[in-house]
Parts: sequence; structure tokens; C-alpha cells
Amino acid sequence: MNLQVISAITRKDLIDAIRNRYLLTALITPLFVAVLFRVVLPGVNNRNVLTLVVHDSAGSSMIAELRQAPLIGVVDTVSADAIAGEVEKRNAIGGLVVPANFDADVTAGKQPELTVYINNKKNVFEQNAFRQLLDQHVRLLAKYREPARLNWIDVGEDTKALGRGGLSLNVMLLPLLLIMTLGMIGAMVVPLLLVEEKEKRTLDFLLASPASLKEIVAGKALTGVAYTVLIAGLLLFVNRHSIGDWPLTLLTIMLGLLFVVAIGLLMGSLLSNTMQVNTWAGTILVLLLAPSFPSLGFPAAIDMAMRLLPTYYLTEALKLSLAGSASSRIWVHLAAVSVFTAIAFSAAAWALRRRN
Amino acid sequence: MNAIEVENLSRSFNSLQAVDHITFSVAAGEIFGFLGHNGAGKTTTIRMLSGQLLPSSGYARVAGCDVITEQRRLRPLIGVVSEHQNLYERMSGRENLEFAARLYGQDMRRVDEVLEQVGLTERAKDNVRNYSNGMKQRLLIARALLHRPQIIFLDEPTRGLDPVVGREIRRVILDLSHQGVTIFLTTHYMEEADQLCSRVAFLSDGRIVALDTPDNLKVAHGQNVIKVTLDDGQTLNIALDNEHAGKQVEQLINEGHVRTLHSAEATLEEVFLQMAGRELSE
Repeated sequence: MNLQVISAITRKDLIDAIRNRYLLTALITPLFVAVLFRVVLPGVNNRNVLTLVVHDSAGSSMIAELRQAPLIGVVDTVSADAIAGEVEKRNAIGGLVVPANFDADVTAGKQPELTVYINNKKNVFEQNAFRQLLDQHVRLLAKYREPARLNWIDVGEDTKALGRGGLSLNVMLLPLLLIMTLGMIGAMVVPLLLVEEKEKRTLDFLLASPASLKEIVAGKALTGVAYTVLIAGLLLFVNRHSIGDWPLTLLTIMLGLLFVVAIGLLMGSLLSNTMQVNTWAGTILVLLLAPSFPSLGFPAAIDMAMRLLPTYYLTEALKLSLAGSASSRIWVHLAAVSVFTAIAFSAAAWALRRRN
Repeated sequence: MNAIEVENLSRSFNSLQAVDHITFSVAAGEIFGFLGHNGAGKTTTIRMLSGQLLPSSGYARVAGCDVITEQRRLRPLIGVVSEHQNLYERMSGRENLEFAARLYGQDMRRVDEVLEQVGLTERAKDNVRNYSNGMKQRLLIARALLHRPQIIFLDEPTRGLDPVVGREIRRVILDLSHQGVTIFLTTHYMEEADQLCSRVAFLSDGRIVALDTPDNLKVAHGQNVIKVTLDDGQTLNIALDNEHAGKQVEQLINEGHVRTLHSAEATLEEVFLQMAGRELSE
């Protein structure tokens, strides 16, 4: 392998790709989606699902409890008058003005007045969650006896295993964006780089030059790797606070990258023009991305079918590594991705040999 | 020493015999014409000789390298101008050449030299997609020259070009030949081959049906005639090897029907038609 030749091809492709509007669109789509989510859901990166503004001069035990609650952020204000402004400014779910002697008055059954602000800009689900949360804490303070003890049992995946990221929306979005990046590289960028050389007959020039077919393919694969490193790197950097286990996350992305590059080389070898790539890319992308979408309560058959897709295991491994879980399940998922990668590379090598 | 030596070279694609046991040699510094109709096997031959395609059987040595076992050594010694204008259209002319220079490990100053050589210095920074056909063809030649190859394969270099640009390309080809570069040229244009090539080979259905200098081919296989145009516009071709030719011409002149009269040499096109049994354009 001649490194000078490979680097010349990669360098050419890196520049040429961003001048190709199809490839440029494929490359920036994950970044565009990430920005879009931040505009539509500005609080998506907060680890707190609910932010609450509080004026609590006496230090109520109820507020102390709320401060300990997961997924709730409590922000203090110096005066009760500042609460409404602060709720708007911080885009908090609401605010509380806790009177002095609140705890004692509740215990004594005096029904003290608790002023509650609610942010109408928040959606109805968040408002209801806030109302229920407040109701629950006030009842707890009053030592209100529940009519029955509710025994909650989790069915399915243990969300505690998701570690500190927990239910953060960001932890659900980031795998989707990363799989989208890998999908674009595998289903569009690498195959288009190869197919365009065939379609425009520039492959004839390359094959008559000192470049061998192996070096040409390596140059294309490296271009895919370089763009993935750039885009996935940007996504990881922006979301760096949501990443629980960096080494595992990087290992998972690297395995995923190998898998999609193999898929790209396979498509690039089998297809002969850009129209074919564009036609197939849609189907391949849907298949690659499907497991990374948050579950919408699909029938069991579809959920089972998802398990046949390599990106199901990639998504699961990403969720666990991003959440910082040390669960042994991640290694099972990574092993599955490795098997799919080996199969994809073998198929790509067969297709390239056949072409030769 | 021969720049190209080919012996019994064949290539088939499934049941199609694209090139069928061809044998020829090209001397160093020669302009060799490889002529044939569409699908005759010209491009397949170039692809085999330039190491892009493995032969099914036979032997070929180009620039001293075996095309089957020494492709790696061969490629820096040859330049190929494809029949397709296979340039990177989103890149400028200079960027195309810089990429080729990196592939061949050439100094970037060489890019300026070849741009100057083909007269593209002024437009070097323009996108190739904005080039005319003639400019693209010149850029292709510049790319093939970049690494100072010993042999250049030119596959239909003037096809689709206007006559002025075609003449310019032919001038570049002659300049290269004067510099000692061996040229292997395929073309549809017999006049071009006649004008440029020291020898030509006629290829038909994958086989070489004739190989010689254009003059020898015309003498050996062509028919010299007297073209007589009569008053009514009718044209008669009277073969000179016909023993009654003189009498026929004399009679026409005496009858006073002759408007013009001149001798006509056989053309390569006619020789090809006779040898291959079909028109070049078929």
C-alpha cells in the first residue's frame, strides 16, 4: 500500500465531497438535526427535566426534599417579587413562594398558603408533571397517609442501569444523531465517492495511474472515516457533559464506523451510478436508523425485527456507553456489532474482487 | 528498441471476443495509429496495454514491462488520454493536475509547466465544468504528460472537437513525437491518421486486418482513379489500372461532355472499407 497515493485520494475526496451538494447535504444533516433540536427544545441538554424557581426564606424541608429529587433543578431567588421574571428568564416549569413557618403550619394543620407560579410556555405534560410532583411533596410534608401502598415494579430494561444520564432527552437524542452520522457516511458518502469515479470514468484514470484498486478503496474509506471523526467529534464535544464513559463511547463509534464503511464499500462496488445510490440510500438509511428512534410502542413483531438489524446493537451499546453503564450487556452488543462488521467487510471484499 | 511489443493478445468478455490474437510492435518515438470501427476492440487493447485490464491470453510488453506481471512498474512510464473526458469537474484545471501530480509523486512546479505546454495557464483556476470540450481535451493531455511518460495512449483525442481545436490537438501530438514520446493513437478520422501516423493498424472485430505505413496501404490496397465530372453533374471514377482507362477518358473529352477531370488517390477510408468489409462509422 502506497501511503502517498492513499493520502492524495483522501485529500482530493475531502475537498471534492463538500463541493458535491448531495454529499454536503448528507454530511451536514446530523449537525442540522442537532441544531434543530436545540432550537425547538432549548432545554434538551439540561440534565434536569424540571427547573423550579423558589423563594424559601425559612428553609422548608419540602424544598430540601425537592433539591434532592433527581431530574429537578431548584433555583433560589432573593425575593418573592423576582420569581415570575426568573421563571420566564430561565424558562423554568414554575416557581414557589414558601411562607415562613410553612413546615410547622402544615404539621399543625393550619393550611398555609403556598403561592405557585406555572409557566404557560411549557407543554401540558410538563405542567401536569409539576402539579403532581408538588401535590405529592405537600402531602408527604403533612404526613398524609396514602390509602394504599403502591408497589411499583419495572418491566423491561432497568433504567437505573442507564447511570447518571438517566432519562435525559439528550441521552436519547445523541445515539440517534451519531447513528445518523454513521448512516449518512455508510449509505451515501462512501458509496457515492466510489460510484462517481465509475460513473464519470475517472476510475479509468486512477487505475492507469500508480494507484491500485486497494489504495483507491482505502482512500475512499479514509475519507468516510475523516468525515465521521469530524462530525461525530463535534456532536460528542457539544454534548460532552452527557457522556458517561468516553473510552466505551469511542470504541462503540469506531466499531460502528467500521461497519458503515464496509456497507459503503459494498454499495459502491455493487452499484454503478449515483441514481442507484440515491435510490438505495433511502432504504438503507431507514434500516440503519430505525432502531435508534425512541420506541413508540411498536408491536412485538417489529421490535423483534429490529433485533435483526446491526444498528439495534450499536444503538443499545451507544445508550449504555453514553450513560456510563458498566453493564456487561454492552460487550454483548459490541460483539454483535463486530460480527455484523466482519460479515459486511467480507461481502465488500467479495464484491470488489468480483469487479476486478 | 520497441516501445510496445504485442503477441497473440486476446481478451474476451463472456462469449464476446473483444480482441482476438493481435500481434504488432511499435518503435520508440513512433506515432502508431490503431484504427477501427466502434466496438472493434481499440479501447480494450489500450486498457490491456495500460494495465487497466488483464488479457485473457497472449503477451504484451510496454516500455519494457510485462503488462500482466509488472503493472506497478509500468504505470509511471505511460500516460493515458481516455476517449471519455474523465476529469474531476467540480475541481479546477490546476486542482486536477495537482491531484495527478500527488499520485505520481511529481513536483508541483511541473503542473505549471504542463499548463503552459497546453496553453491553459490563463484558465487554470477555472472550474473544469466551465471548460469547452477543446480545453478539457488539452487538460487531459496535460494530465497524461505530467509525469513525463515514455509512451502516451490517446484514445480518440479529437472526437467531437471542432476542426480548429482538432488541429491544435494534432499540433500537440506532433510536438510530443518530436520530443521522443511514443504515441499510440486510436481515431475514427482517417485523414488524421494519414497526417500523423508513421504506421497504422486496421482493427476489425478484434483482429488486425492490415498493418503498414499509410502510403503502403494505399498503394497496396487502394485504387487510384481519374474522377471525371460531366456537364450533367454526373461523376465517373475511371480506375487507372483499367487498360481501357485512357481510351475512355479520351472519348469523353472528344464528346465534349467533360466539365472537370482530375486524378484521385485512394484514401485510408477506402482501404479500410476494402480490408474490413465495412465502413469505419458502422
